[in-house]
Amino acid sequence: MTKQRKNLSRFFYHGARLILGVIFIYASYDKILHPKAFAEVVYNYQILPDGLINVTAIFLPWLEILMGVFLIVGFWMPGTIIWCNILLVVYIGALCFNLARGLDVNCGCFSTTKGSSISIETILWDAAFLTLSVYLFFVVFGLKFNEGSK
Amino acid sequence: MIKNNRLKICKQKFFQAVWQCGALFFLAVFLGFSINQFRDSRLPLFDDWSMEARLMSPSGERLDITLVEAKKLFLQEAVIIIDARPNDDYEKGHIRGARSLPWHDVDQRFMEVTKDISVDTPIITYCDGETCELSHHLANFLADSGFTNVRILVNGWTKWQNADLPIEKEDAD
Repeated sequence: MTKQRKNLSRFFYHGARLILGVIFIYASYDKILHPKAFAEVVYNYQILPDGLINVTAIFLPWLEILMGVFLIVGFWMPGTIIWCNILLVVYIGALCFNLARGLDVNCGCFSTTKGSSISIETILWDAAFLTLSVYLFFVVFGLKFNEGSK
Repeated sequence: MIKNNRLKICKQKFFQAVWQCGALFFLAVFLGFSINQFRDSRLPLFDDWSMEARLMSPSGERLDITLVEAKKLFLQEAVIIIDARPNDDYEKGHIRGARSLPWHDVDQRFMEVTKDISVDTPIITYCDGETCELSHHLANFLADSGFTNVRILVNGWTKWQNADLPIEKEDAD
Protein backbone atom coordinates (compact mmCIF):
# COMPACT_ATOMS: atom_id res chain seq x y z
CA MET A 1 0.00 0.00 0.00
CA THR A 2 1.39 3.36 -0.92
CA LYS A 3 1.97 6.04 1.68
CA GLN A 4 -0.72 8.17 0.09
CA ARG A 5 -3.33 5.41 0.38
CA LYS A 6 -2.28 4.77 3.96
CA ASN A 7 -2.79 8.45 4.79
CA LEU A 8 -6.18 8.46 3.09
CA SER A 9 -7.15 5.36 5.03
CA ARG A 10 -6.11 7.03 8.29
CA PHE A 11 -8.01 10.16 7.36
CA PHE A 12 -11.22 8.18 6.80
CA TYR A 13 -10.80 6.21 10.01
CA HIS A 14 -10.23 9.25 12.23
CA GLY A 15 -12.88 11.26 10.38
CA ALA A 16 -15.53 8.58 10.84
CA ARG A 17 -14.58 8.20 14.52
CA LEU A 18 -14.84 11.95 15.20
CA ILE A 19 -18.09 12.42 13.26
CA LEU A 20 -19.80 9.53 15.08
CA GLY A 21 -18.42 10.70 18.42
CA VAL A 22 -19.78 14.22 18.01
CA ILE A 23 -23.15 12.85 16.83
CA PHE A 24 -23.52 10.61 19.88
CA ILE A 25 -22.58 13.41 22.29
CA TYR A 26 -24.98 15.82 20.58
CA ALA A 27 -27.73 13.19 20.63
CA SER A 28 -27.31 12.47 24.34
CA TYR A 29 -27.04 16.05 25.61
CA ASP A 30 -30.74 17.02 25.51
CA LYS A 31 -31.83 13.60 26.77
CA ILE A 32 -29.61 13.95 29.84
CA LEU A 33 -30.98 17.44 30.55
CA HIS A 34 -34.64 16.38 30.16
CA PRO A 35 -35.02 12.80 31.42
CA LYS A 36 -38.80 13.03 31.85
CA ALA A 37 -39.29 14.26 28.28
CA PHE A 38 -37.00 11.51 27.01
CA ALA A 39 -38.98 8.90 28.97
CA GLU A 40 -42.10 10.13 27.14
CA VAL A 41 -40.30 9.75 23.81
CA VAL A 42 -39.37 6.17 24.76
CA TYR A 43 -42.99 5.51 25.83
CA ASN A 44 -44.34 6.90 22.56
CA TYR A 45 -42.37 4.38 20.55
CA GLN A 46 -44.68 1.75 22.11
CA ILE A 47 -42.01 -0.94 22.00
CA LEU A 48 -40.71 -1.39 25.55
CA PRO A 49 -42.85 -2.66 28.45
CA ASP A 50 -43.88 0.11 30.88
CA GLY A 51 -41.47 -1.18 33.56
CA LEU A 52 -38.42 -0.56 31.35
CA ILE A 53 -39.28 2.94 30.09
CA ASN A 54 -37.78 5.04 32.90
CA VAL A 55 -34.83 2.70 33.39
CA THR A 56 -33.99 3.03 29.68
CA ALA A 57 -34.45 6.81 29.77
CA ILE A 58 -32.02 7.02 32.70
CA PHE A 59 -29.11 4.95 31.38
CA LEU A 60 -29.33 5.16 27.56
CA PRO A 61 -28.23 8.83 27.20
CA TRP A 62 -25.23 8.08 29.42
CA LEU A 63 -24.31 5.13 27.24
CA GLU A 64 -24.50 7.44 24.23
CA ILE A 65 -22.36 10.16 25.79
CA LEU A 66 -19.73 7.62 26.94
CA MET A 67 -19.67 6.15 23.44
CA GLY A 68 -19.29 9.63 21.98
CA VAL A 69 -16.38 10.52 24.26
CA PHE A 70 -14.67 7.13 23.76
CA LEU A 71 -15.00 7.42 19.98
CA ILE A 72 -13.41 10.86 20.01
CA VAL A 73 -10.50 9.90 22.26
CA GLY A 74 -10.17 6.43 20.69
CA PHE A 75 -10.59 4.56 23.98
CA TRP A 76 -12.01 0.99 24.25
CA MET A 77 -12.69 1.05 20.52
CA PRO A 78 -13.70 -2.61 20.03
CA GLY A 79 -16.41 -2.46 22.72
CA THR A 80 -17.51 1.06 21.78
CA ILE A 81 -17.90 0.24 18.10
CA ILE A 82 -19.92 -2.90 18.88
CA TRP A 83 -22.32 -0.77 20.99
CA CYS A 84 -22.46 1.80 18.19
CA ASN A 85 -23.58 -0.82 15.70
CA ILE A 86 -26.06 -2.40 18.12
CA LEU A 87 -27.67 0.95 19.02
CA LEU A 88 -27.92 2.18 15.44
CA VAL A 89 -29.46 -1.12 14.27
CA VAL A 90 -31.96 -0.96 17.16
CA TYR A 91 -32.80 2.70 16.40
CA ILE A 92 -33.32 1.98 12.69
CA GLY A 93 -35.44 -1.06 13.56
CA ALA A 94 -37.60 0.99 15.96
CA LEU A 95 -38.03 3.79 13.40
CA CYS A 96 -38.96 1.37 10.59
CA PHE A 97 -41.36 -0.55 12.86
CA ASN A 98 -43.24 2.58 13.91
CA LEU A 99 -43.23 4.10 10.45
CA ALA A 100 -44.64 0.84 9.04
CA ARG A 101 -47.47 0.77 11.57
CA GLY A 102 -48.21 4.45 10.97
CA LEU A 103 -47.38 5.85 14.41
CA ASP A 104 -46.73 9.59 14.21
CA VAL A 105 -44.26 9.99 17.08
CA ASN A 106 -41.54 12.46 17.91
CA CYS A 107 -38.23 10.97 16.75
CA GLY A 108 -36.37 12.08 19.88
CA CYS A 109 -33.17 11.46 17.91
CA PHE A 110 -31.39 14.69 18.83
CA SER A 111 -33.97 16.58 20.86
CA THR A 112 -36.75 15.60 23.26
CA THR A 113 -38.69 18.81 22.79
CA LYS A 114 -38.65 19.70 19.09
CA GLY A 115 -41.50 18.19 17.13
CA SER A 116 -39.48 16.27 14.54
CA SER A 117 -41.64 13.28 13.64
CA ILE A 118 -40.13 10.03 12.43
CA SER A 119 -39.82 9.79 8.66
CA ILE A 120 -37.89 8.14 5.86
CA GLU A 121 -35.40 11.01 6.23
CA THR A 122 -34.61 10.12 9.85
CA ILE A 123 -34.12 6.48 8.84
CA LEU A 124 -31.75 7.51 6.04
CA TRP A 125 -29.73 9.65 8.45
CA ASP A 126 -29.42 6.72 10.85
CA ALA A 127 -28.49 4.45 7.94
CA ALA A 128 -25.70 6.88 7.01
CA PHE A 129 -24.41 6.81 10.61
CA LEU A 130 -24.63 3.00 10.55
CA THR A 131 -22.51 2.94 7.39
CA LEU A 132 -19.79 4.89 9.22
CA SER A 133 -20.14 2.60 12.21
CA VAL A 134 -19.87 -0.59 10.11
CA TYR A 135 -16.79 0.87 8.39
CA LEU A 136 -15.22 1.51 11.81
CA PHE A 137 -16.11 -2.05 12.85
CA PHE A 138 -14.14 -3.43 9.89
CA VAL A 139 -11.17 -1.19 10.64
CA VAL A 140 -11.10 -1.82 14.38
CA PHE A 141 -11.43 -5.58 14.04
CA GLY A 142 -8.74 -5.69 11.36
CA LEU A 143 -11.05 -7.32 8.86
CA LYS A 144 -10.33 -4.72 6.19
CA PHE A 145 -8.80 -1.26 5.88
CA ASN A 146 -6.77 -2.15 9.03
CA GLU A 147 -3.87 -0.02 7.92
CA GLY A 148 -5.84 3.08 8.87
CA SER A 149 -6.39 2.33 12.53
CA LYS A 150 -2.80 2.38 13.59
CA MET B 1 0.55 -16.67 7.64
CA ILE B 2 -0.98 -13.24 7.08
CA LYS B 3 -4.45 -14.81 7.21
CA ASN B 4 -3.60 -16.51 10.53
CA ASN B 5 -2.28 -13.27 11.96
CA ARG B 6 -5.43 -11.42 10.92
CA LEU B 7 -7.60 -14.15 12.49
CA LYS B 8 -5.57 -13.93 15.70
CA ILE B 9 -5.95 -10.14 15.88
CA CYS B 10 -9.66 -10.44 15.17
CA LYS B 11 -10.09 -13.04 17.94
CA GLN B 12 -8.15 -10.85 20.35
CA LYS B 13 -10.30 -7.83 19.47
CA PHE B 14 -13.42 -9.91 19.92
CA PHE B 15 -12.50 -10.81 23.51
CA GLN B 16 -11.63 -7.16 24.18
CA ALA B 17 -15.00 -6.16 22.73
CA VAL B 18 -16.90 -8.53 25.02
CA TRP B 19 -15.50 -7.18 28.27
CA GLN B 20 -15.50 -3.58 27.05
CA CYS B 21 -19.17 -3.85 26.04
CA GLY B 22 -20.03 -5.11 29.51
CA ALA B 23 -17.89 -2.44 31.19
CA LEU B 24 -19.42 0.34 29.07
CA PHE B 25 -22.91 -0.87 29.90
CA PHE B 26 -22.26 -0.98 33.65
CA LEU B 27 -20.49 2.38 33.56
CA ALA B 28 -23.50 3.94 31.81
CA VAL B 29 -25.90 2.31 34.28
CA PHE B 30 -23.79 3.47 37.23
CA LEU B 31 -23.47 7.05 35.95
CA GLY B 32 -27.11 7.29 34.90
CA PHE B 33 -28.60 5.99 38.14
CA SER B 34 -26.14 7.79 40.45
CA ILE B 35 -26.63 11.18 38.81
CA ASN B 36 -30.38 10.62 38.61
CA GLN B 37 -30.48 10.16 42.39
CA PHE B 38 -28.95 13.57 43.06
CA ARG B 39 -30.67 15.77 40.48
CA ASP B 40 -33.69 18.01 41.09
CA SER B 41 -35.68 16.58 38.20
CA ARG B 42 -35.15 13.00 39.39
CA LEU B 43 -36.93 10.39 37.32
CA PRO B 44 -38.43 7.54 39.38
CA LEU B 45 -37.20 4.10 38.32
CA PHE B 46 -40.76 3.00 37.62
CA ASP B 47 -43.73 5.15 36.63
CA ASP B 48 -47.36 4.44 35.94
CA TRP B 49 -47.54 4.74 32.14
CA SER B 50 -51.12 3.47 31.86
CA MET B 51 -53.50 5.58 29.77
CA GLU B 52 -55.62 6.29 32.89
CA ALA B 53 -52.64 7.74 34.74
CA ARG B 54 -51.53 9.74 31.73
CA LEU B 55 -54.96 11.29 31.33
CA MET B 56 -55.19 12.38 34.95
CA SER B 57 -54.67 16.01 35.94
CA PRO B 58 -52.33 16.76 38.86
CA SER B 59 -55.46 17.24 40.99
CA GLY B 60 -56.66 13.72 40.10
CA GLU B 61 -59.43 14.51 37.59
CA ARG B 62 -59.76 12.68 34.30
CA LEU B 63 -58.88 14.93 31.40
CA ASP B 64 -60.11 12.87 28.46
CA ILE B 65 -63.49 13.33 26.79
CA THR B 66 -65.35 10.85 24.60
CA LEU B 67 -66.17 11.63 20.99
CA VAL B 68 -69.91 11.51 21.85
CA GLU B 69 -69.52 14.15 24.58
CA ALA B 70 -67.25 16.29 22.38
CA LYS B 71 -69.75 16.11 19.50
CA LYS B 72 -72.60 17.12 21.81
CA LEU B 73 -70.72 20.18 23.09
CA PHE B 74 -69.65 21.04 19.53
CA LEU B 75 -73.22 20.92 18.21
CA GLN B 76 -74.40 23.06 21.14
CA GLU B 77 -71.59 25.51 20.33
CA ALA B 78 -70.73 25.31 24.01
CA VAL B 79 -67.04 24.58 23.64
CA ILE B 80 -63.83 26.07 22.29
CA ILE B 81 -61.82 23.49 20.40
CA ILE B 82 -58.06 23.98 20.17
CA ASP B 83 -55.79 22.17 17.72
CA ALA B 84 -52.39 21.48 19.31
CA ARG B 85 -50.71 20.20 16.13
CA PRO B 86 -48.14 22.17 14.13
CA ASN B 87 -49.57 24.94 11.95
CA ASP B 88 -48.91 23.01 8.70
CA ASP B 89 -51.14 20.16 9.85
CA TYR B 90 -53.81 22.60 10.99
CA GLU B 91 -53.83 24.28 7.59
CA LYS B 92 -54.22 20.95 5.80
CA GLY B 93 -57.40 20.32 7.77
CA HIS B 94 -58.91 20.72 11.22
CA ILE B 95 -62.14 20.43 13.20
CA ARG B 96 -64.51 23.14 12.00
CA GLY B 97 -64.11 26.27 14.09
CA ALA B 98 -61.05 24.94 15.94
CA ARG B 99 -58.37 27.46 16.86
CA SER B 100 -54.73 26.69 16.19
CA LEU B 101 -52.38 26.76 19.16
CA PRO B 102 -49.41 24.56 18.24
CA TRP B 103 -47.82 23.20 21.40
CA HIS B 104 -44.38 24.15 20.14
CA ASP B 105 -45.43 27.81 19.74
CA VAL B 106 -47.50 27.96 22.91
CA ASP B 107 -45.36 30.63 24.59
CA GLN B 108 -45.61 32.99 21.63
CA ARG B 109 -49.27 32.42 20.71
CA PHE B 110 -51.01 31.64 23.99
CA MET B 111 -52.21 35.20 24.70
CA GLU B 112 -53.37 35.85 21.16
CA VAL B 113 -55.41 32.60 21.00
CA THR B 114 -56.93 32.64 24.47
CA LYS B 115 -57.46 36.37 25.20
CA ASP B 116 -61.26 36.18 24.59
CA ILE B 117 -61.83 32.89 26.45
CA SER B 118 -63.15 33.09 30.01
CA VAL B 119 -61.51 30.74 32.48
CA ASP B 120 -64.59 28.54 32.99
CA THR B 121 -65.36 28.03 29.27
CA PRO B 122 -65.22 24.35 28.27
CA ILE B 123 -62.12 23.79 26.15
CA ILE B 124 -61.20 20.65 24.21
CA THR B 125 -57.67 20.13 22.94
CA TYR B 126 -56.76 17.56 20.29
CA CYS B 127 -53.97 16.34 18.08
CA ASP B 128 -53.61 13.17 16.00
CA GLY B 129 -52.65 9.62 16.97
CA GLU B 130 -53.27 7.54 20.10
CA THR B 131 -49.83 8.40 21.44
CA CYS B 132 -49.78 12.06 20.43
CA GLU B 133 -48.66 14.11 23.42
CA LEU B 134 -49.30 17.62 22.08
CA SER B 135 -52.92 17.81 23.27
CA HIS B 136 -51.92 16.47 26.72
CA HIS B 137 -49.18 19.05 27.11
CA LEU B 138 -51.46 21.84 25.91
CA ALA B 139 -54.32 20.77 28.21
CA ASN B 140 -52.01 20.70 31.22
CA PHE B 141 -50.57 24.08 30.24
CA LEU B 142 -54.05 25.62 29.92
CA ALA B 143 -55.11 24.10 33.26
CA ASP B 144 -51.96 25.51 34.88
CA SER B 145 -52.77 28.88 33.32
CA GLY B 146 -56.10 29.00 35.17
CA PHE B 147 -58.60 27.43 32.77
CA THR B 148 -60.86 25.22 34.85
CA ASN B 149 -62.67 23.13 32.26
CA VAL B 150 -60.08 21.69 29.88
CA ARG B 151 -60.50 18.23 28.33
CA ILE B 152 -58.55 16.18 25.78
CA LEU B 153 -60.04 14.39 22.80
CA VAL B 154 -57.42 11.65 22.42
CA ASN B 155 -56.56 10.92 18.76
CA GLY B 156 -59.06 13.70 18.06
CA TRP B 157 -58.33 14.49 14.42
CA THR B 158 -58.60 10.86 13.24
CA LYS B 159 -61.67 10.14 15.40
CA TRP B 160 -63.42 13.30 14.20
CA GLN B 161 -62.82 12.49 10.53
CA ASN B 162 -63.80 8.84 10.93
CA ALA B 163 -67.11 9.97 12.45
CA ASP B 164 -67.72 12.27 9.44
CA LEU B 165 -68.04 15.31 11.68
CA PRO B 166 -67.53 18.81 10.22
CA ILE B 167 -64.02 19.77 9.26
CA GLU B 168 -62.51 22.64 7.33
CA LYS B 169 -59.28 23.57 5.59
CA GLU B 170 -57.50 26.90 5.81
CA ASP B 171 -57.72 27.66 2.10
CA ALA B 172 -61.47 26.91 2.14
CA ASP B 173 -62.18 29.74 4.59
